[in-house]
Amino acid sequence: MQDFEKTMDIQRATIEAERCLYCYDAPCMAACPAHVPVPEFIQSIRSGNLHGARSILQEAHPFIETCGRICPEEAFCQSACARGKIDTPVHIRQLHRFVTDATDAADRIELPGATAGKIAIVGAGPAGLSCARELRSMSFVCDVFEDRQAGGVPSQEISTRRYPREVEQRELLFLMSRFVSHVHVQHVTDVTRLKSEYDAVFIATGLPAESELKIEGVQLAGVHRARELLRKMRSGTDSGVGDRVGVIGGGNVAVEVASMLREEESERDVVIIYRRGMKEMKAFKKEIEEATALGVTYQFLAIPDKVIGSQHVEGLQVTQARLSCEDSSGRRSFDALPGSSFVIPLDTVVIAVGQRPDEGVFPGIDRSPSGLILVGDNMQTNIPGIYAGGDIVRGARTVVEAVCDGKKAAECIAAYVTGGR
Amino acid sequence: MYREHDLSYGFLGIHLENPFILSAAPPTDELEMAVDGLKAGWAGLVLKTTSVEGNPVNLKYPMMSSFGTAAHKLWGLGNIDLISQYHIDEICERVETLKRMFPTKMIAASIMGSQKEDWQSLVWKLKKAGVDLIECSFSCPQGSMGEAPGRMLAQSVEATEKVARWVKEAAENTPVLIKITPQVTDIVEIARALKRAGVDGITASNSVPALIGIDVETLEPRPSLFGDGAYSGMTGMAIKPLTLRTIAEIARNVDITISGNGGAYSWSDAVELMAVGASNVQFCTLPMHYGFGTIRDLKSGLADYLDRKGFASPLDIVGKALHSIKGQEELSAPRTRSEIDLDRCIGCGNCFRSCTDGGHRAIEWNADKRQPVVDLEKCPGCGQCMQVCPVNAIRMKEELETQTHYFQFTGSR
Repeated sequence: MQDFEKTMDIQRATIEAERCLYCYDAPCMAACPAHVPVPEFIQSIRSGNLHGARSILQEAHPFIETCGRICPEEAFCQSACARGKIDTPVHIRQLHRFVTDATDAADRIELPGATAGKIAIVGAGPAGLSCARELRSMSFVCDVFEDRQAGGVPSQEISTRRYPREVEQRELLFLMSRFVSHVHVQHVTDVTRLKSEYDAVFIATGLPAESELKIEGVQLAGVHRARELLRKMRSGTDSGVGDRVGVIGGGNVAVEVASMLREEESERDVVIIYRRGMKEMKAFKKEIEEATALGVTYQFLAIPDKVIGSQHVEGLQVTQARLSCEDSSGRRSFDALPGSSFVIPLDTVVIAVGQRPDEGVFPGIDRSPSGLILVGDNMQTNIPGIYAGGDIVRGARTVVEAVCDGKKAAECIAAYVTGGR
Repeated sequence: MYREHDLSYGFLGIHLENPFILSAAPPTDELEMAVDGLKAGWAGLVLKTTSVEGNPVNLKYPMMSSFGTAAHKLWGLGNIDLISQYHIDEICERVETLKRMFPTKMIAASIMGSQKEDWQSLVWKLKKAGVDLIECSFSCPQGSMGEAPGRMLAQSVEATEKVARWVKEAAENTPVLIKITPQVTDIVEIARALKRAGVDGITASNSVPALIGIDVETLEPRPSLFGDGAYSGMTGMAIKPLTLRTIAEIARNVDITISGNGGAYSWSDAVELMAVGASNVQFCTLPMHYGFGTIRDLKSGLADYLDRKGFASPLDIVGKALHSIKGQEELSAPRTRSEIDLDRCIGCGNCFRSCTDGGHRAIEWNADKRQPVVDLEKCPGCGQCMQVCPVNAIRMKEELETQTHYFQFTGSR
């Protein structure tokens, strides 16, 4: 499988590390949601102290193996790098990856006795497991409730090209075996019951459901949901889709599924169909570049009208759009050009237009109109002792932001439990 | 297309087409390499040191090592090399060949011996071959032969003077340079001894005796030959400041011609060596690193410099900086303050941290703007912040009644 990233060896990594200016109160660190002390770990690479570098990363960040691979550095640390004002930003994530690839996770960990209290964590994704790690380090016992594969979105919906199985396994095995007391394979829909058995509850289920595209023809055979396909392909099963695939959407899921479908079958045509232009796509630039390098093509300014076909997909009718003024997201919106519709011949349509929470779960917990859980500054829901974080609070975001929520929730939970005594 | 700038001048009666000479070292130890170097444009060379029969040359490989950073591995280069394995008769043949091929270049040879007869017979043979200049190595870091084996000849004032006399006596009108070591208590004493001996000049100076490193995994010295190592002669950029002081100290105290050697890596390094008293500059580590083709930049860089400064000849540079090298106690005492150009500042905070932990706690940090703020009351203008600023946004400012003076960072090119 094509790895787009040149793996760094110690010489390359050290040369790159020497470019770091070792900024005071470093802006990269402030730009990292997990506040990884970037200059410090880079200094340790420079001095050849890779275990020192690892310990800095490890203490700041529960998901270092994962983020070393898939963190969108363009949105965080590297966007703030002062070196970029001289030439180009330091390749921080690649240095991070170099450290995690070159060193081992498990040794040198020392945990206090588990005496402080018992916490229920609903969801074994980045937010939940980060919270568990932090709480366990503060002497709490953490039980995790999860009815799917552990690891959340990265373990289930990201290409093994970007996030290899062995990296995932290394991370999860380490976290689950060291910091989680018990895993209950159980779909939790009501947390108030859990609250009576535990000192506190943290909800970190992510967004299990997919948004539906409300156009004609989506019930036809050959219409797929993006995340379902991603899970299928990541688990090693053939996607089973055709040779002319249209992926509807402009976010990271759309780009990820388009890339994976191209990788799976080199003869397959995969076109991303999006209502706005490339600049307006929500997906990260680097992931778009990789998709393009894999041969994914784009149909911009195309508004899906209906899926054409009698029983199976035969095409997608779209209307040509033009860009209009900026919307609230700061991106230019679009207007349909009447009478400009045309049909893109396809045998497969993949819908990647967003994700949402399950409906009808967590009765009694306040939620927004779109179903996201509402929390205060301390990550607590409307019910004292019940906390929430990650995608179920933020909407679909990154691993490192989920990690940040997990860490912060752990602190707030610890304060709540010990303060309550 | 470009006009060739005339960089030529006379050095001890020898025509030099430019001040850049290949020193007695590996680049001049094979005839083919010497030919290529001269063809590339070097003004002359000193063939690698040779000696008489009976002086075995037992080289140990790998002989090279270096230290530096990952991006600049060769900050300092070390060798446990010895003199050439070629016999004096072979060297004499080469002198003849090279003189025939390059009649306008300086063809010099370097020698080393122990007894008076050795030194003098080496000189006579080279004179007969038509050598332009003879350089004598009194300073091989692996030690000299004869007088005090294992020690360098140029570490003894008496031995230096005595042997230099032998050589000059034999050389007669052929110019003689003595290559000395910077590793002495008082370089001026050595230079004075050479002046008394009547030699024509001093090559200042040879590689610096050094221990290049210890491998922390094996605790073996570098280079390690099956676990054992020896002190190296160190060359390269790292030693330039040592060479500058050595040359300046000789030039300030003794009226004698100096050939600069040790640490020059560019035309501007050469200008520095000449400004403190060298009449030409020898190179070894630069061509060993980047090849003979580096002469092109040396020449054009120097030509441009001469044009910019209005100097007619490279000789105009020689010693130009000497009058301003003084004792610390003789310097004036400006009252300066750090001045930070916030338009250039990239907000890295290195000046703040450096001043806080290594200066006078005279810089404050505006965290919101990511900007340093100088406390003019506390700042004595030491200049440390200026050294660590990665974008040269800092200078020291002295405000006098009538005018303002700035002390700028002038470290790197």
